[in-house]
Amino acid sequence: MTSLAADGPRGRVRRRPLFRAPSIIPGFGLTFGLSLTWLCLIVLIPLSAVFIKTAGMGWQHFADVALSERAIAAYRLSFGASLGAAFINAVFGLLIAWMLVRYDFPGKRVVNALVDLPFALPTAVAGIAFTTLYTANGWIGRVLEPLGIQVAFTWVGVVITLIFIGLPFVVRSVEPVLADVSRDVEEAAASLGATRAQTFRRVILPAIFPALMTGFAMAFARGVGEYGSVIFIAGNMPYRTEIAPLLIITQLEQYDYQGATGIATVMLIASFSLLLVINLLQAWSRKRTVD
Amino acid sequence: MSIRLDTIGKSFGGFTALGDINLEIEPGEFLALLGPSGSGKTTLLRIVAGLEFPDHGRVFYDGEDITDLKVADRGVGFVFQHYALFRHMTVADNVAFGLTIRKRRDRPAKAEIRDRVQKLLDLVQLGQLGNRYPAQLSGGQRQRVALARALAIEPRLLLLDEPFGALDARVRKDLRRWLRELHDRMGLTSIFVTHDQDEALELADRVVVMDHGVIEQVATPQQIYDEPASAFVFDFVGESNQVPVTVDGDRVIAFDRLLDVPPATLAGMGGAARLFFRPHDAEIVGEGANGLAATVTLVRPNSGSMRVEGKLEGSDRLVEIDVAQGAAPGQGERIFVRPTRAKLYAGTAG
Repeated sequence: MTSLAADGPRGRVRRRPLFRAPSIIPGFGLTFGLSLTWLCLIVLIPLSAVFIKTAGMGWQHFADVALSERAIAAYRLSFGASLGAAFINAVFGLLIAWMLVRYDFPGKRVVNALVDLPFALPTAVAGIAFTTLYTANGWIGRVLEPLGIQVAFTWVGVVITLIFIGLPFVVRSVEPVLADVSRDVEEAAASLGATRAQTFRRVILPAIFPALMTGFAMAFARGVGEYGSVIFIAGNMPYRTEIAPLLIITQLEQYDYQGATGIATVMLIASFSLLLVINLLQAWSRKRTVD
Repeated sequence: MSIRLDTIGKSFGGFTALGDINLEIEPGEFLALLGPSGSGKTTLLRIVAGLEFPDHGRVFYDGEDITDLKVADRGVGFVFQHYALFRHMTVADNVAFGLTIRKRRDRPAKAEIRDRVQKLLDLVQLGQLGNRYPAQLSGGQRQRVALARALAIEPRLLLLDEPFGALDARVRKDLRRWLRELHDRMGLTSIFVTHDQDEALELADRVVVMDHGVIEQVATPQQIYDEPASAFVFDFVGESNQVPVTVDGDRVIAFDRLLDVPPATLAGMGGAARLFFRPHDAEIVGEGANGLAATVTLVRPNSGSMRVEGKLEGSDRLVEIDVAQGAAPGQGERIFVRPTRAKLYAGTAG
């Protein structure tokens, strides 16, 4: 399999080989086969089951459940809040990564560990904690309420929770790349007369942009799928603060399995398209900088 | 541009990188900072550039104290050892960077920037490669881009940190000659850091030899080679033999044998000393004469003459001398070596 089409006879136009030319590292066939099998078992087969199930439900039923006004409101909240949270995470995650890479300070290890906490904490715990803090008599809610800002049981609460959930993704993907941007390059920019702001905008940011996009995409994807923490703070009012994953659960509780997969299909397609766009953006910005 | 360094000192933590450096550089001079790693040469260059600030002492450009001026405001060209190109920009954008970031008031028009970049790329012989990215260039080409980028801001002072360090020998040699021409043609003042003595001796008008944060000698390449001011310089620059000796009046004793040295060498010496001589400044003498006794361990051709390596009797030290092609002794033979030109430094051998 490895030597497939790698070597055509001389004089003929060489086609691009379908597989990589034989490499000195052995085991391509084995690795490729195992990886593909594994991906099929874990990702492809379950996902195709979703589509097959959906395909069997008929258009009318699908439109009634998955494209209902209530479902569309839920999609809007899920995707909107996830995008917003991912965007905020991109900004503050970058800041935290910058601090961790560039400065030494007492307690750096603690901060480092704090960043990973959202990975480790059961999401329900986070959800309950946030809800307690932001309700009208919670520590923070008590302050915000008189100002007319309501967080708990509104979309704002959803965004805040998703920020928490997605934070580590941005920090951890930007950190190594930022550490890799050599001092030399910054000094070169400075020696050419660039201000700090110009150096950041024109030299550092382009270098870490692909990594930032990766972090953004992961935080976003995580946000779209998040369920455990959000349902506590969202309040789950149909049309207003109901997220799509919750809607799926609701359908399941009513034994409407096809309806649930219908909603899942819509989410899948939307997520996939968005991630594809982000990936293309990334490829475009990375293409030119690879050594 | 003339530069004056006045008692510059710098330490990192407890480590003294530079101790009280005084140095004057003439306009138009091509100066080399030569020394082993850790000698402080790069730190000194970075202080001149403004990338590092001295703990004490002042830096003057053309008599003006610019010690506290940031690098961005100094307008010097700096070339980094590993090029430090902006990887996400084309070659042309890299070169244009110093111009495009200027405030609108000082920034040349777009067309003018394009012209100037093209001229610079032609100058560094990369006229066709403006649209490439740095990753698509060879090491030598990248270093020339870095040079063009530094020259774009029209600096009067060009500073180069091990500019050829990461290149292979052939490219290094070409680039060296080309840089010297460029320096002369553009009327620059240039300082470059190197640990390669050939580079320093070939390129520079004057060489500053540094060790452990102090200047050992400042002189022309010829003087550095012919009259090293210290044992360190003798050892570091060029090939040399080092023999521990005892000086007693006008007699020199090496490994219990009398040794004849050129009389001028002896001035003011007494007691333990180190004798230095170059391989080509020695001859083989007969057993009766006062020379260093050695057993030949290796004979090999060495550009036009023969290099003879021998182990000194009474020690593990090796001695290397150059002899004419027909006159080489055989391996294992016992020979007597007498320096024709040598230098004595007080103290015991390191």
